[in-house]
Amino acid sequence: MSVAQPFEENPCRPRHFPPLPACAPVVPNERAAAALETCRARLVAAAAMFAVAFLVVALRLVDVVAFADESADPLRPGRAHVVALPPPTRADIIDRNGRMLATTLDSPSLYADPRQIIDVNEAVHAIRTVLPNLDPAELHAKLSSSKSFAWIKRRLTPRQQYDINRLGIPGLNFEHEVRRVYPFGDLASHVVGFCGIDNNGLAGIERALDTTVKTSKEPIQLSLDARVQFILHQELTKVISDFSAKGAAGIIMDVRTGEIIAMVSLPDFDPNHPGRSDGPQTAAAAADAKDRVFNKITLGDYELGSVFKTFNTAMALDDGTATMTKQYDAAHNIKIGRFTITDYHGKHRALSVPEIYMYSSNIGSARMALEAGADRQRSFLAKLGLLKPVPIAFDEVAKPHFPNPWREVNVITIAYGHGIAVTPLHAITAVSAILNGGILRPPTLRKLSPDEVPAGNRVISQKTSEQMRKLMRLVVEYGTARQAAAPGYVVGGKTGTAEKNVGGHYIEKKLLSDFVGAFPMNDPRYAILTLVDEPHGNKESHGYATAGWTVVPATGRIIERIAPLLGVRPVDESSPAITNALAIASMQGKRIEDY
Amino acid sequence: MSRLSMVFWTLLVVASGFSTFMVKYAVQNIEDDLNRVRRHTVAEQQEIRVLTAEWTYLNQPERLAELNKRFLGLAPIATKQLQQRVEDIPLRPAPPPPAMNPEVGPIPVSAPAPGEPSAGAPPAGAPPAGASTPAESSLSVSLPNSAPASTAPISITAEIAPPSASVAPQRVMAAAMQPTPRAAALTPAALTPAALRSTAGAPVHPQIVKAVAVSHPGSLDALIAQIAEAH
Repeated sequence: MSVAQPFEENPCRPRHFPPLPACAPVVPNERAAAALETCRARLVAAAAMFAVAFLVVALRLVDVVAFADESADPLRPGRAHVVALPPPTRADIIDRNGRMLATTLDSPSLYADPRQIIDVNEAVHAIRTVLPNLDPAELHAKLSSSKSFAWIKRRLTPRQQYDINRLGIPGLNFEHEVRRVYPFGDLASHVVGFCGIDNNGLAGIERALDTTVKTSKEPIQLSLDARVQFILHQELTKVISDFSAKGAAGIIMDVRTGEIIAMVSLPDFDPNHPGRSDGPQTAAAAADAKDRVFNKITLGDYELGSVFKTFNTAMALDDGTATMTKQYDAAHNIKIGRFTITDYHGKHRALSVPEIYMYSSNIGSARMALEAGADRQRSFLAKLGLLKPVPIAFDEVAKPHFPNPWREVNVITIAYGHGIAVTPLHAITAVSAILNGGILRPPTLRKLSPDEVPAGNRVISQKTSEQMRKLMRLVVEYGTARQAAAPGYVVGGKTGTAEKNVGGHYIEKKLLSDFVGAFPMNDPRYAILTLVDEPHGNKESHGYATAGWTVVPATGRIIERIAPLLGVRPVDESSPAITNALAIASMQGKRIEDY
Repeated sequence: MSRLSMVFWTLLVVASGFSTFMVKYAVQNIEDDLNRVRRHTVAEQQEIRVLTAEWTYLNQPERLAELNKRFLGLAPIATKQLQQRVEDIPLRPAPPPPAMNPEVGPIPVSAPAPGEPSAGAPPAGAPPAGASTPAESSLSVSLPNSAPASTAPISITAEIAPPSASVAPQRVMAAAMQPTPRAAALTPAALTPAALRSTAGAPVHPQIVKAVAVSHPGSLDALIAQIAEAH
């Protein structure tokens, strides 16, 4: 290879080198030209394919980097766009002053992934420092199993969760669950109600407003006042223990708006664990638990006795069949069929309407009702809403029981509150209407804004309402309810003592004593109804179990304690402004007989 | 020319790509921050719920009544205590002028506060001149609860020893002059809300625990534990 060949003749010369200027242009033959063309076309096609492929990759890259919605990518859970807020839970329930009656708390459950546990013995020891109740052998077995999931403990308290977290054991995790908690316990159990294990409302407001509670972001504010509720609860508990009664109930209502300020039914339960009664699980215990959940105020139909004379008198006065001065014969018992209507505190003479009301004369009331007639009585009670369930956003409401057909004997007994059974909620709603100037408003458990007054129907005239205030004041001043006179608060009211109807027979020893009242009577603000079921007389009550000795003194104490909380100022009851407003002309100068 | 535009477009693409990524990562960082804050908020909200529930639990009327019985012995307000409005309370008769009291001359005051009705510190044992109006006296009555130093009478005397024109010691002195040493003894830190709340924590006032143990589970934790047991 020492001989240099001329370039042109070298067979290894690259073909694409341009020919040397001295050369003649190379004219390829036709075959070579066709081959070159094919080659070029193939090259272009391949290049185009690669270009498309790269373009796709580039576009995808832009798409992934710039536009992709990362939160939708299950493989990248760490960088969600929005931290998920806690799952929808039930709204808080608060009282009218913002105190929490029901709330939902996180209640995490602890589980383990045993495969991640490094030292089982150490883990068992550490966990038991926080949860000493766990069985070590069982825990050890759980943690050394080959499964990937084992519950350790359900429903931890927040503190336990914190402590477990602090142990820093790998493989322990929390499952979030929620739990309804009622910090006030049994204070308002019947109103607030309770929830089941799946957090659905099963009773009370929790049930009635279940959907609202589940969707509302704001707490649900009730008209209840926890302080008043407590006082009512405490005093009624005392009544039960003092008179070894079966139960008691009470309700306080704002007569102007129909807001229920307090509602207590005893015995009651702890909504934190409803249905649990103390002692062994027997049939009696189950019945007791059921009895506790029963809301006497809204579900209990009772023959309220003489309290009905309030409605009877209002009817007669409003319809004009009676006036404040009209007298009725109360000297002679009424005989109808096999019944004889007598008076408990018989006066054996003609009595005027205020006297009939004050002495609680059955005979006088019956004569007033007979004078008005069955139709008037029935339509008046219907107007007061006593013949149908109370219109309230509450699931547990009972239908009243009343006779059908409405015979003459029913007219007589209904005049003094027998033969018709209504719930205490009915009674207080009707009494509120009678006292507030004659407007019947549906009761409510939701707090109304300060200037909001719900629409209502006029049931009696303003004048009748004022007359009824005077009559109810008279009962507290001189009648059966003298012990309810919380001084300074101008209390008025009417007592009732009914024999309980068991299986169609009235039983003398089983009483239902009740009182319905309001204060201050010159301008009623709050109505209160208290009742006690089967009280037994004691030494202080001289053996009496009637309303005047049982619930009436308790109501006096309740009013004295709650009035300052409700912003009712004490006044001088003997001041001319008060006495003139509540004086009854026909009773002036009359000697009022004692019982 | 075409080379120039080539360079221009290339630079533009690079620049826009770069800025896109910059913005993207900036947004990601902000989102991370936002998420962190949100997680924090959620955790705080949960904690607030727990604390509110606990606070409510500790404020059960029944429990407060028990604590009252044990520590304060306050009775319900009697009706006669409510009979009168503030306007009905008569003004206290004006005190004799300072010149009438020959024993103690007016104490010099370095800088009387403007608007203060009485700048001079009153002689010991006599009602403070500033307390001559009912409004002033009611102010001084309410102060023992808010002034932190008032629980320790010794420190009060130490404070008021040098005649000073500053307002606070005067008020504290007025508080110390209230003839209610019992009230001062009954307002130790143990009865402030903060202390009541701490019953769930480690430093617990022994007496409070005793009071709680009478009928309630000691804390919300115990209540929840009880609920859990029930299920």
